[in-house]
Amino acid sequence: MLAYTIRRIIILVPVLWAVATITFILMHAVPGGPLTPEKDRPPALQEALERRYGLDQPLWRQYTTYLTNLLQGDLGITFKGDREVTDVIRDKFFVTAQVGILGFVLAISVGMTLGTLSALNHNGPLDYIGVFFATAAASVPNFILGAFLTIILAVNLGWLDIVGWGGPNTWSELFDPAAYDWRKMLLPVIAISVLPASFFARVTRASVLEVLNQDYIRTARAKGLAERKVVWGHTIKNALIPVLTLTGPIFAVMISGSFIVETMFFIPGLGAESIKAIVARDYGMIMGTTLFFAFVVAIANLAVDLLYAVADPRIRYS
Amino acid sequence: MSTRSKWFLLPMAALTAGLIFAAACGGDDDDEGGDTTPGATSEATSGSGGGQAPADQQKIRIAQPEPQFLDPQKSNFEQDIGLERFLFRGLYNLTDDGEGGVEVVAMMADGEPVVTTEGETAVYTVKIRADAEWSDGVPVTAANFVYGLTRACDPDIASPYQYLLGAGLGDLVGCDALAQNTDPAQADALKAALGAKAIDDKTLELTLAKEIPTFKTIFALWTTFPARQDVIEEHADAWTLPENIVTNGPFTLSEFAVGDHLTLVPNASFVGTAPVLQEIYVQFVDDLSAAFRAFQNDEELQMTEVLATDVAVAESSGLSDNVLVVPSARITTIEAQMTDPVLSNFGVRLAISQVIDRQALVDSVFDGVHAPAYYWVVEGLVGHQGNEAFEGVIGYAPDKAAQTLADAGFPDGEGIPTLRWTARDNEQKRNEFAFVQAALAEIGIEIEAEFVDAATRSTMFNAEDFQLFPGGWQLDYPDIENPLVGLFNTDGGNNKYNCSDPDVDAAFEAAFTATSEEARIAAYQEVEKNIVEKLCGIIPLYQDARPFVVSTSIGGVVANGTIDAGLPGNYAPENWFVKAD
Amino acid sequence: MATTLPADYLAVGDVAETKYRGLWSDAWRRLIRNRLSVIGAVVLTGILLLAFVGAFVGPTARYTAQEIDTSADQRQTGPSAEHWFGTDQLGRDIFARVLEGIRVSIEIGLGTATLVLLIGVVVGSAAAFGGKMSDNLVMRFTDVMFSFPDILLILLIREILINREIPILSNDRVLIIFAISLTAWTTIARLVRGQMLSLSERDYVLAARALGASSTSVVYKHMLPNTLGPVIVAVTFAIPAAIFAEAALSFIGLGIPPPAVSLGELVKTGYVVIQRNAWAVVFPAAAISILMLCFTFIGDGLRDALDPRTR
Repeated sequence: MLAYTIRRIIILVPVLWAVATITFILMHAVPGGPLTPEKDRPPALQEALERRYGLDQPLWRQYTTYLTNLLQGDLGITFKGDREVTDVIRDKFFVTAQVGILGFVLAISVGMTLGTLSALNHNGPLDYIGVFFATAAASVPNFILGAFLTIILAVNLGWLDIVGWGGPNTWSELFDPAAYDWRKMLLPVIAISVLPASFFARVTRASVLEVLNQDYIRTARAKGLAERKVVWGHTIKNALIPVLTLTGPIFAVMISGSFIVETMFFIPGLGAESIKAIVARDYGMIMGTTLFFAFVVAIANLAVDLLYAVADPRIRYS
Repeated sequence: MSTRSKWFLLPMAALTAGLIFAAACGGDDDDEGGDTTPGATSEATSGSGGGQAPADQQKIRIAQPEPQFLDPQKSNFEQDIGLERFLFRGLYNLTDDGEGGVEVVAMMADGEPVVTTEGETAVYTVKIRADAEWSDGVPVTAANFVYGLTRACDPDIASPYQYLLGAGLGDLVGCDALAQNTDPAQADALKAALGAKAIDDKTLELTLAKEIPTFKTIFALWTTFPARQDVIEEHADAWTLPENIVTNGPFTLSEFAVGDHLTLVPNASFVGTAPVLQEIYVQFVDDLSAAFRAFQNDEELQMTEVLATDVAVAESSGLSDNVLVVPSARITTIEAQMTDPVLSNFGVRLAISQVIDRQALVDSVFDGVHAPAYYWVVEGLVGHQGNEAFEGVIGYAPDKAAQTLADAGFPDGEGIPTLRWTARDNEQKRNEFAFVQAALAEIGIEIEAEFVDAATRSTMFNAEDFQLFPGGWQLDYPDIENPLVGLFNTDGGNNKYNCSDPDVDAAFEAAFTATSEEARIAAYQEVEKNIVEKLCGIIPLYQDARPFVVSTSIGGVVANGTIDAGLPGNYAPENWFVKAD
Repeated sequence: MATTLPADYLAVGDVAETKYRGLWSDAWRRLIRNRLSVIGAVVLTGILLLAFVGAFVGPTARYTAQEIDTSADQRQTGPSAEHWFGTDQLGRDIFARVLEGIRVSIEIGLGTATLVLLIGVVVGSAAAFGGKMSDNLVMRFTDVMFSFPDILLILLIREILINREIPILSNDRVLIIFAISLTAWTTIARLVRGQMLSLSERDYVLAARALGASSTSVVYKHMLPNTLGPVIVAVTFAIPAAIFAEAALSFIGLGIPPPAVSLGELVKTGYVVIQRNAWAVVFPAAAISILMLCFTFIGDGLRDALDPRTR
């Protein structure tokens, strides 16, 4: 398993290199650059700016410089405010991760509860409600749900706030209850969790149904085991494994969700920042965020695969 | 001293009362704003009423976009420059004269400069106030200004507003040469040759290529602010972080949470009026509709700019006392490419002007916040002629437009190909296009939109690659010459629509050689009359205004549109206070 | 990473017993027995009729999406007998604009599905039949595409291609279809490859052959439906995914540029004036939701009917 893990990590290197190269090419194919002036700018000033950010070098040299620096963990600086890209990613991802983790927890608890209830109540009214929810939640875009919740809960009822993020902005505030403002946290977390929750609900339902039809469950029932024990002891545990495989793709879905949800609720996270970076042609940030997201998804998928092996003894990686 | 008579400089200096920060466009030369009458401050926010609350309640929260740099020499955008006036101050300061105009007063400088001239060259000697100190207790010295000005001209800093010190404006000797230098070996010699010297700790000597009427104004601007060499060399780009920064303005930075907010607290060492507020929490918000919702929703937020379309919401939801509409020194216009075979025809331009109902445009797209304009020199400037002068010539005349177009050789628009409309892509620009498209369709002119991002748009403009281009001009400084010179003379650098008219050029010549202020103004008025009546590259639409909401609990917010940057009255935040209950 | 999950993740997966029938007739029977799918199909047909026919003839065609009326009492109005969905800032009829938005959404959805199918089949078969080298190459490339944050990739492609004089792509709708497709084809490509590789070795194919079925019959009755089934299902789910992607991009102001009307843009426009005229957001939002719901129901039904793995 260790060898497998190491091999997976080694494979990651060429993938990230390819992501970096493709992003670099696409980014430079976009017309205009981070220094394209909005007003006419004296040529000397323009040249000075380009020199300062190394944009006066030929493209291939910018590319090799970038890769060399990348190997040393240096992602360069942003054009917006001359900050280290690594610092910006660290600060912004701290917020994105909070939204993501809270949303994930909400999604998995709501989704699995609904899915299990649906399956145990197969073809009953609870099942129909569950399936309908799962389908509807997969169909109503998060920004539309967010818009409706905003009108009702924030604008009309005034219960919740909508601008900014209510969680801590720095690590040091993480354990400070005063740094949390749930009125600002609820709407984005709900908005980002709805789609993943619907996936969890569907897969849990299918998985529990399948387990319930397995021979060993029939055996357990036949030998007179209490239904509660059958359900909790045998069914749920075994049904969990397919759900686990879902968490990797869900990660990707949630990162996609973060772009829209963060933009809409003005959350200072990495998703909103990376969209701003593309619009502003902030080369350093475009490269940094794309690589970072690719890396996060790859690591998440690896972690899920390893967990999968731990959970299901039949699976062996070599 | 030049051959131009000296007495003429005095009134001109008074006129050139302050560069608007707005050239610093907030990223947007195309910003939306709101209303109409200059000086239309709402009663609720004029500073007089009510006493001050106790010191422990002197805290406010305001919203604005996140600044890019808090380094005055690096700043490009309004949201940076506005905040820098909280933190830093220059030799002089722009302030409200109490009558809606602008006054330049001494700030770090001790009184008026002493000017001596040698031929064309003018040497300004400025004393620094003996009691001026930075927030860490270190005295403000002449060397700080020399270092700041050197940074402003240094190509390694690449200050976006270096041109304020360059030829024709600040005229600081050696600044352009330093800024355009590409040879590192030459850098030290060029820095040494810069026309800024510290004679002693408190005596600054500035050498300008010629005497200028705008000296005090220029040296009140952010680009000329002093800088601390020891702090900047120690911390490099990190010098503006709260733990490193030292300031000489009314406030200092206590906290900066990237992407979220910053906090300002008073600078006890500030030599000017001590600020009343004990804390200003600046929430970063990019989207004005979200900011407005937060204002409605969040009792903590007390000031923000809002969208024109939200003014009606504010007024209908009991917030009319909070609305503050500040006129903006900007005309929005359609720029028409005069080299285009169709648009070079005056009749076509006139027909376009006659068929666009400016009032309906402003009322529908901007809920009446901006004001229709058939002029080019903004209201509030000396020499402004207003709608009365030109509306009869180019004004909305739906019954005449079709005939005008027919007379021009294009009955019912036949023979006119579909014209390109190049605009920034945002909600209001989309609506503006839809409005104009519908209007022009009435006389048979078809237009198609090309919506682009800000950078592409300006690239296309500078390359003269456009037919119809909704744009405008925001004043850099309040003088009638600013919106005209360089924009309409045949060889003007900003004349991208290729307006070339002998009467205009003759009027410019008259203005350049005028020997009296009246003659100069009159000559520029003649320029305006010619460009407007001939629609020479421009078809004026409206004068912008910017709407804000300000809590009624805040006093001392005296908006002065010509020197505000992003927030109303933020040229003098030391005067803001929380009213007693 | 793709916004869509691979189709098998979406499996509700009822386990049902079925007698052998002809695969296609069997699938059809299952499809029309699925009540939600039928409802989805009926509602969708109604919407399509309204958007593609009703918008041009009859009482539903009284206004066009671009027609403005700036008189004060005609702007930002709620629903009325005259304007069924109310009007916007310029007095334009929101009903007409929603219909045009639906047309754009449908075009984006179907266009993307087609292009994704095309790329997916070509790349997938290339991988399956092109030998070990090309299989490896293609699969590693799909790995890389999978690791891209899709919205960022779509935005980059959009920014590169917009306002350029490239044939075909200078059409903004084609451009958006192209950009979305470039991020969405990996799922189909992998599916096609997997199907192609395993098909000839499947037990039922071998069994059918052993039982003496003719070659044509094996391909027609067994291989084709079993390949096509999962692909059709995946492509069906690509439609709502594309509609969602375009709407989301338009919502943040980076979708299909005007004068095309996008439902996402209508929601955004309405969101700005939500306190004056909430109807301006309600109707386009409902339109997107209903459209996506219909396609999802139909996709669910098709999957249950066609995908042999769920039997």
